[in-house]
Amino acid sequence: MLDQAGLTILDFRLKIAVAAFAGAATVAGQTSRLAGELDAKGFASRVAAEKGRVVLVNFWATWCAPCREEFPDLVRLQRAYAGKGLSVLGISTDFAGQLAAVEKFLEENRPPFPNYHKLGAGDDQDFINAVERSWGGELPFSVLFDRQGKKVRVLSGKQSYADLEREVTRLLS
Amino acid sequence: MRHSRLALAFAVASALCLAGTALAEGPAVGAKAPDFQLTTLDGKAFSLSEAVGGKTAVVVMFIATKCPYSNAYNDRMRDMAIAYGKQGIQFVGINSNKSEPADEVAAHARQHGFTFPLMKDPDNKVADLYAAGHTPEIFVVDRGGVLRYHGRIDENYENPSRVASPDLKNALDSLLAGKPVAKAETKAFGCSIKRV
Repeated sequence: MLDQAGLTILDFRLKIAVAAFAGAATVAGQTSRLAGELDAKGFASRVAAEKGRVVLVNFWATWCAPCREEFPDLVRLQRAYAGKGLSVLGISTDFAGQLAAVEKFLEENRPPFPNYHKLGAGDDQDFINAVERSWGGELPFSVLFDRQGKKVRVLSGKQSYADLEREVTRLLS
Repeated sequence: MRHSRLALAFAVASALCLAGTALAEGPAVGAKAPDFQLTTLDGKAFSLSEAVGGKTAVVVMFIATKCPYSNAYNDRMRDMAIAYGKQGIQFVGINSNKSEPADEVAAHARQHGFTFPLMKDPDNKVADLYAAGHTPEIFVVDRGGVLRYHGRIDENYENPSRVASPDLKNALDSLLAGKPVAKAETKAFGCSIKRV
């Protein structure tokens, strides 16, 4: 038997499972809901699914002020370069108890790219190392993959739109 | 031979390229910790090399006033500084965030009962020296001035009563026992240091 908290979590997971299908089909559309939860394996698979496109993965959190400041530039970047082959993927590292704040943030920003929540289970260190060995855990943090799916660049801390655009256009050209 | 040199050059170039805007390399665990001098919020001169002289170790903590991850550890930092202070280990806090002025850092310390020295790091020079990227981020320097631990306080920011890996505590206990630190480098999420 599930208690109220269990039902809430189950309800959330069902919603994001549905959203994951929708998100995959409407990368260019506005996505105001989380597209799912990802662990390190899921992260690798999700990036691999974008092969043929330049992928910018941004790790963020609602409590992280520079992440919130950088996010609108990611929205702008995806709008400008989606047609040229860019796929931005967002991964929230918010605490498990803050998913409502995450969805509120997405509702306010309506990013034209899918956003996932890092799966809460396990030691964050394992996830961090699986994404990038040189990453110390600071947020925001972005990783760029070329069209062949090869990791080619890491961006630590908040980036300006000009810096993001320069990094992305270099890979798109 | 030529091919292997080319391959090596390519590997080095790839690594440099991947670095992007990642932080520069900080001191490695086992290497000499860079010395630094700062002024504490109550106006006293602090020198790392002088501090390690009379102590078993100095725990250098890059912390913040507004970062939820750093704030999650306020009580743990306060309690560990007192407990380990009695055993000859000195805790110090460094705030390198340009967005958090000295009066705010002092008020935050009073609010949370910090008794360890706190310092502002003008122009984030010490954060750069150590390549500290986020808060909270910990460096433990032994009495010989060697970096013995770098990383997190523990793995559970949300619940101190359910910590499974008390990494800083384990490192300090090892130093007190004269043993090597088994897990000398750890990671956790944190807030980027807001640099100048």
